Amino acid sequence: MAVPISQMWTVSTYVLKKKLTGTKRYPLVLMLEPLFRCNLACAGCGKVQYPPHILKKQLTPEECFAAVDECGAPMVSIPGGEPLLHPQIVEIVNGLVERKKYIYLCTNALELKRRLPEFTPSKYLTFSVHLDGQREHHDFSVCREGGYDIAVEGIQEAVKRGFRVTTNATFFDGTDPNSVRGFFDEVMGMGVEGIVLSPGYSYDKAPDQNRFLGRARVRRLFRAILSNREPEWKFNMSPLFLEFLMGDRNYECTPWGMPAYSIFGWQKPCYLLQEGYADSYKELLATTAWENYGVASGNAKCANCMVSCGYETTAVIDGFGSVKGFLAMVKGNFSKYRDRHALDLLNDPAPHGNAKLIQIAEPAHALEETHV
Amino acid sequence: MTAEVLKYTLAQVEALELAPAAEHEQLEGWVPTLANEDDLRQALEKAFDYRGDVTLTLKNGERIEAFIFNCQTGPTLADSFLQYFTPAAPEKRKVSYAEIARVEFSGKDRAAGKHWEDWVKKYNERKAAGEQGIALHPEALE
Repeated sequence: MAVPISQMWTVSTYVLKKKLTGTKRYPLVLMLEPLFRCNLACAGCGKVQYPPHILKKQLTPEECFAAVDECGAPMVSIPGGEPLLHPQIVEIVNGLVERKKYIYLCTNALELKRRLPEFTPSKYLTFSVHLDGQREHHDFSVCREGGYDIAVEGIQEAVKRGFRVTTNATFFDGTDPNSVRGFFDEVMGMGVEGIVLSPGYSYDKAPDQNRFLGRARVRRLFRAILSNREPEWKFNMSPLFLEFLMGDRNYECTPWGMPAYSIFGWQKPCYLLQEGYADSYKELLATTAWENYGVASGNAKCANCMVSCGYETTAVIDGFGSVKGFLAMVKGNFSKYRDRHALDLLNDPAPHGNAKLIQIAEPAHALEETHV
Repeated sequence: MTAEVLKYTLAQVEALELAPAAEHEQLEGWVPTLANEDDLRQALEKAFDYRGDVTLTLKNGERIEAFIFNCQTGPTLADSFLQYFTPAAPEKRKVSYAEIARVEFSGKDRAAGKHWEDWVKKYNERKAAGEQGIALHPEALE
């Protein structure tokens, strides 16, 4: 079990309180994006392409605190952009620690080692370091030779100084599950608390639209990766969410569970889609047509999404919201998920061939066949 | 991708091998003809979706270079508005659809290009030439 008891207690009591008070929609993790500027230039990135005057803007600490206080989520993830480029990131983090929020500061770690002395270790602060795989794979993924070694140096220094550290990886079509499993061995050997992983989301601004996994392929890949686990592997995620990725559970999206706040405001409807902005979390909840989103809605923009910002909230609520869910979560924390079929998947070559560019407006060309 | 949405059944979604792809429209440099209200609404929808600056000319003659990050549409043009940032002003600003006379997709489309295949090709060429420390770097902000 990678998540500390105190954090689990905070989240579980929060979820139970919401359940007891009959609150239907509430945030679990605030995705706080203090800036969109980044010091990497990953080919294929669909997240941070903005004009320079937008990339130079950033949230003030006061704006961050106001967003955190308004929505009340017990956890705050700080992605971006690269948060360590924000000149006041230490002040922001310290303010959130004072508020007893569990923070995941997501970083590519290029600046981590240099800036570590400015931070104070705390049970509330975790550096979530972006590592997409083993050295060659990560460097190629972030378009920077040497990026892996710099990140690992940062991780090792952070672990040495007593910080909580996780790694986070995003997987696309063509990922080799054997390499990913080898990568898990490597990162656990670095002394990190746990691993975070996700399938990539098909941002419509991404230049390459043929590398995003569909749900059938996500399940096959994650079944191969996450079955037959090594005892050393620890995941800083809900075990029920991992079972969802492996195809053992069906969940619906909870788009309001991890709301995103940035220089533009509260993003509608979720961290991944940009269909407008609200001035407050309350307004976001009141003015978003939630029935139009999630896999059951049939919305094409949600079709491939199995990303944690939509589905891990569902898994966490399931895990802490019922005895059955809680028992499944406990069992998941200790299971190795033995699966002979998954071992066979590790020996299968990954399905190849790029998807055709699909015209969203033309239904006749809109679906891919399943090749299981 | 616009607000136009194709509906899938759950069974279709679960069977997808690869994600449905969005088509990237080439809008940079485009100046749409605004003959009627529908033209204006469609152009502003695209401007909201555009990852570059646009230049708006208002009916009073004022020209605004802006990054549009939000739009809210209502039954009339007067009820509909855009929110934007300009390069010169730090605060969010708002303009009603009813005030807008012309739209130019004047700024560079920041979502265009930077394809994975281009990086792979460039990497292989530089590697073959014996280069070390190969990397792509973010564009300068000045």
